[in-house]
Order: sequence, then C-alpha cells, then structure tokens
Amino acid sequence: MARVYNWQIGREMSYWYPESRPEKQFAAVFDINKCIACQTCTLACKTTWTSGRGQEYMLWNNVETKPYGSYPLAWDLNLLDSLQGQEWQGNVYQGQTVFEAAPEGERVLGWRPDEHDYSYPNVGEDDCAGQIEKGASLDLPHMMWFYYLARICNHCTYPACLAACPRGSIYKRPEDGIVLVDQDRCRGYQECVRGCPYKKVFFNPMTGTSEKCIACFPKIEQGIQPQCFVNCIGKIRLAGWLSKPEEAKPENPLDYLVHVRKIALPLFPQFGLEPNIYYIPPVHVPTHFLRQMFGPGVDEAVKQYRNIAQDPDLAGLLALFGSTEFIVPRWKRQGDLVIGMSEKGTELIKVPMREPIHIRGAYDPKYNIARVNCP
Amino acid sequence: MLRAKSLLILMLTLILSSGVLILSCRSGEGPITAEVVIIHSTNLPLDPNDPIWNAAPKHLAKLIPQDLVEPRLMKASTSEVQIKAVSNGTNVAFRLEWLDDVKNDLPGPAKFIDGCAVQVPSKIAANVPDPQMGQAGQSVEITFWRADWQAIMNGRKDSIKELYPNAAIDHYPFEAKPLEKDPVAQSEMQKRYAPARALGNNREGPRDSAVEELIAEGPGSLSPAPNPTGAKGKGLYNGKGWSVVILRSLPKDLSPNTRSQIAFAVWEGGHKEVGARKMRSGWVPLLMKAEGELSKNAY
Repeated sequence: MARVYNWQIGREMSYWYPESRPEKQFAAVFDINKCIACQTCTLACKTTWTSGRGQEYMLWNNVETKPYGSYPLAWDLNLLDSLQGQEWQGNVYQGQTVFEAAPEGERVLGWRPDEHDYSYPNVGEDDCAGQIEKGASLDLPHMMWFYYLARICNHCTYPACLAACPRGSIYKRPEDGIVLVDQDRCRGYQECVRGCPYKKVFFNPMTGTSEKCIACFPKIEQGIQPQCFVNCIGKIRLAGWLSKPEEAKPENPLDYLVHVRKIALPLFPQFGLEPNIYYIPPVHVPTHFLRQMFGPGVDEAVKQYRNIAQDPDLAGLLALFGSTEFIVPRWKRQGDLVIGMSEKGTELIKVPMREPIHIRGAYDPKYNIARVNCP
Repeated sequence: MLRAKSLLILMLTLILSSGVLILSCRSGEGPITAEVVIIHSTNLPLDPNDPIWNAAPKHLAKLIPQDLVEPRLMKASTSEVQIKAVSNGTNVAFRLEWLDDVKNDLPGPAKFIDGCAVQVPSKIAANVPDPQMGQAGQSVEITFWRADWQAIMNGRKDSIKELYPNAAIDHYPFEAKPLEKDPVAQSEMQKRYAPARALGNNREGPRDSAVEELIAEGPGSLSPAPNPTGAKGKGLYNGKGWSVVILRSLPKDLSPNTRSQIAFAVWEGGHKEVGARKMRSGWVPLLMKAEGELSKNAY
C-alpha cells in the first residue's frame, strides 16, 4: 500500500498504487435540483453502448430515487453497513476508507451484488421518505422528501475497481483520467465488481468480461460531452476538466463550482476514491441525510444554492448546463449573458441568464376571441 | 530391548526407502504414488472414463488455499485432487478428479465456474520457478479447463436464454431487419456490443476447446501462450465431483526417466472461487516412464 493525498477527505490515505494523477481529469457536475428522473440519460447510454448480448441488465447510467431507490439493490447501504459509522472532524475524515478497512486477504472492502440485486432498477421510485400527514406544508427543508440521484462511473482518482483487479486489467488514462477495463486483458474475475463501492462495473456473462461506463471517450476526444450529458432533458449536467484544488482556475466552470464555490460535492467522499462526478445537493432535503452522502460541505452548498437569485455568477454558470454539446473549459459572465469558451478563448456558446418573456394575453384582439389553454 | 529397537528402526528404514513411490494401495484402485508418474500408451485418452486410465498409477495432490497474494482464499475448500497421467511420447494427458457437491458451469454476476489447471515449468532446470505461477524470468505453462467451456463444447448455444431461460429481449441492434440478409454486416454490428470478442478475448462464446493454454511469470501475469499447441480437455460431472482430462503437448525436454515438476489448481465455483481465489498444490515431482516400464511394476 502506498500513501496518497485525497483532498476530498482532507488527508493522506493508503492506496494500492502510488499517486499518479492524469494530465487532465474528466469530471462533471450534476445539479440534483433539476433532475426529473425522465431516464433520457439512461436510455441515451443504453442505446449507445449496452444493447448487446449479456448487457441486457446493465445500466452504466441510471437514475434512482433517494432515499429508497438503488441499483443494484442497496449498493450504498451494504457498504455503509460494513464500513460502519465513521467520523469527520471539520473537513478531515477521521474514519477508514474502503482501502484502509480492507479485511485480511482483500485489496478493498467490498461486496458482490447477487444477480437478483440487478432485478429491481426502479425500486423505491418516487417513494417519499415517509408518510405525508394532513397539514403538510412546503417549507424548506421539506418535512417529507425524495430526490433523484443520477449516477454514472465516477472515474475516480483512486479507483477501487483498478485497485481490486489482481491482473492490472483496469487502467486510468493519463491523458484524461477516464477509467477503462481493458477488454483484451480482462479475465472476468469480477474483483472490480466487488471492489467498486458505486457498483458501476458490470459482468457480462456472454463475453465473460467486466464492462463499465467509458465516459463516451470517443466523443470526449473530440471535445464533445458524453451521450448522457447532451441528451439530458433537464440540463442538469456539465462535463469538463477538474484541476487539483491548489491549481483551481475560477474561469474553469468545474473548478469554479467544485473548488471556488464548493457548491458541487463528491458522492460518498468517505469511501476514499476521490470520485469525479460532483453533485449540487437538493435544497429541499434535510441536510443530516445529505451529509452522509455528500460529506461535510453540504450545509454551505445548500445555503449558497438557496441564495442563487442574489448570486449572478453562480446562476449564470448554471445557465451554461446543457446549452451546448461541446465541452466548455472556460467561461465568463458579461452582464446578463454567460459565455462558454474553448481553451484558447474562442466563443463556443452564448446564453442569456434569463430567457425573454412574452406574455400572451387571454384575449386575442386580432380575431376577437378569447384564448384558452386547452389543446 | 536395544535389539528390538534396532529392528524397528531397520524395518522403518526399509519401508521408507522402498516406498519412495509406493505409499499405499487401495483394493482395486491401483497404487498411489508420491509423485505424478506418466505411463506410456500409444492411444491417448481424452475421455475421463477410458479404460486406459485404469492402468495408470494415481497421485493424490494435496491442495492448500492460495494465501500468498491478494485477493487470497481465506477458507479452504477442495482439499485433494487425484491425478493420473498418460503419454504417447508426443503429448500427455492428465486426468484430474476431485469431489464437488454442486456443478457450477453458468456464468453470471457473482456466479463462478468450476475449473482446474495443470502447471509445468517452461523448461526443466535445477532452479525451479516459484510454484505460485512462476516468477520473472522463469515462466510456467498452464493449461486451464473450465466447466462453462465444457458446456459450450457439449453444445450449449451462444444465447442469453441458455443462461436465463426466461429472459425476454426486445431487440438487439444486430438483429435489425436490414441486416438479416447480410451475415457479415450483422457479425460486425454484433462485435460492436461485445468488445472482448472483437478483440479475440475468448472468455465466453463459441470455442474449439474446453481448455486454454497460458503462460505466467508470477501472479497477475497470466497471458495466452504465444505458441499454443492445440491442447484439449474434457470434463465429466458425475453428481459427486468432476473428472477432467487435460491433454497437452509433452513439456519441453521431458523424456523417459527425466524428472520435472508439476502443480495443480482447482476452483470451486460454488465457493465463489475465481482467479487468485483458488485451491492450489505446491510443486509435485513429475516422472515419465518409458514404453513397457509399466509392466515391470516400476512404480
């Protein structure tokens, strides 16, 4: 085991290999507040990558309803249960990561989903956290709540799948940090499936190898965002490149959201993988639940989001989400306009912070008729 | 008293010295040898039930859990594998038999496959490679048999319905109408959704042998043999365990009355054994007998 630095838990930790960060790290921000669980992302991925034999059950991208939804079944609860309650002290995690808590004989603390665990992708869908009593009101946070969690592979800085593979069949691309299973070298041991706490590696029984989200790397290589991003109806996603905290550049949209404003947070940072999909937490959910899922930064993130009407930079940047298929490595706000630019400063997209409003009167004087809203 | 003691020591010495090979002899089963003895036969049997096997002595290889490299096997399962070996001077067939309550030959998530392997050093040398899959600069040759490959060889079709009979599939893109009359285009399209197959990584699907020829230079280095020699295998499950024949080329430089080493591994799928999680032996002495030596009761 080597000692590596994981900024998400504020300390060094043990990892199977020495620290080796890529030249650029593929990363993304998902704004949970906008997700409507339409599953268009899921279908975009499914039809693009996993329509083959043996891939029938695979969802490299899925959207589950929290608190009760999970795919595969109880992916999060099972691991939290074996990791047990752990402590944070401020922004420093005091507990054990999945690497540090690995039992004797194992590389990673993990578990194997049974095939039946993949049989209920919609479990808990739209189920509220509890019964809504008479007299409920919509104060913040909501007294009863649920929210949608869209998930893909986190293309972690310290991938547990990579650490768990005894053959070195999984690699992290030095050029963009995308984590891939070498389909030529994999022998289907399923150690990666066991090791990944997010359960985003899947065994294909027809090829006998394990397969996973590839971050649509053929698109990324052309500067285009992945399928699940560009097909997102709710425009909740933004893909890009994330710097190390000490090298964060405010003009980089991901750096701004993750490092500068700290409004986008990692999923279960305590697992220790430094995952690179970041979530803007849902503002209507009690933060004691969210703290376990997104770490100690939740309260501040929720506070900032609730104040977004008075925060033109943040509101402006969120308007860039889903506005272009191109990866936007730089951005700036000019008054009510938000501009997305290439690395060299070329304009890729210009978005108004507010769409112009046209009010259509109830009476149409031209035809002398009253308009109705019925189709 | 002293004389009785000396007599006892003499008797023990005689038993031990004469019994280098002969350890015991169960009634009707032939002798059990302390090393793997390859007997000569012009016909090499691929069928585990071939009567030729009756003439071969057997070795009982003790298995221990692989507990040197992570992931380790923490709980022992198959404790022993019974070995017999026959050669025609060019190829050699090993029969491995072990007890296994449940047949596991269906791949799937968290499902693992029964299997076994035979390992020999790539060359005979005084300095034997590490028994745990060799070491850098000292490679080993491994012939690996798996129960799902046997099922495919026995006729299991290349369809998800073979694994999940109740599976309902809406549509595969490669089964689209426009491709129906163009098998080449259809096959190309199918490969796009099966990258391992497209790369020739034949873990599942149609194959022409139930075994795989491999080389290794230490744990984690397992690779396809650069010059495969057409190894074959055949496994039968009898409700209580497996009987598997692995037939491969005779190890390099192995000839009558030369000695080498051999090692074995068994995976019990029902115990979630796969890859490094296996029961394995250490090196076992390997001795090849010349044609006609069997009749001299040389073992």
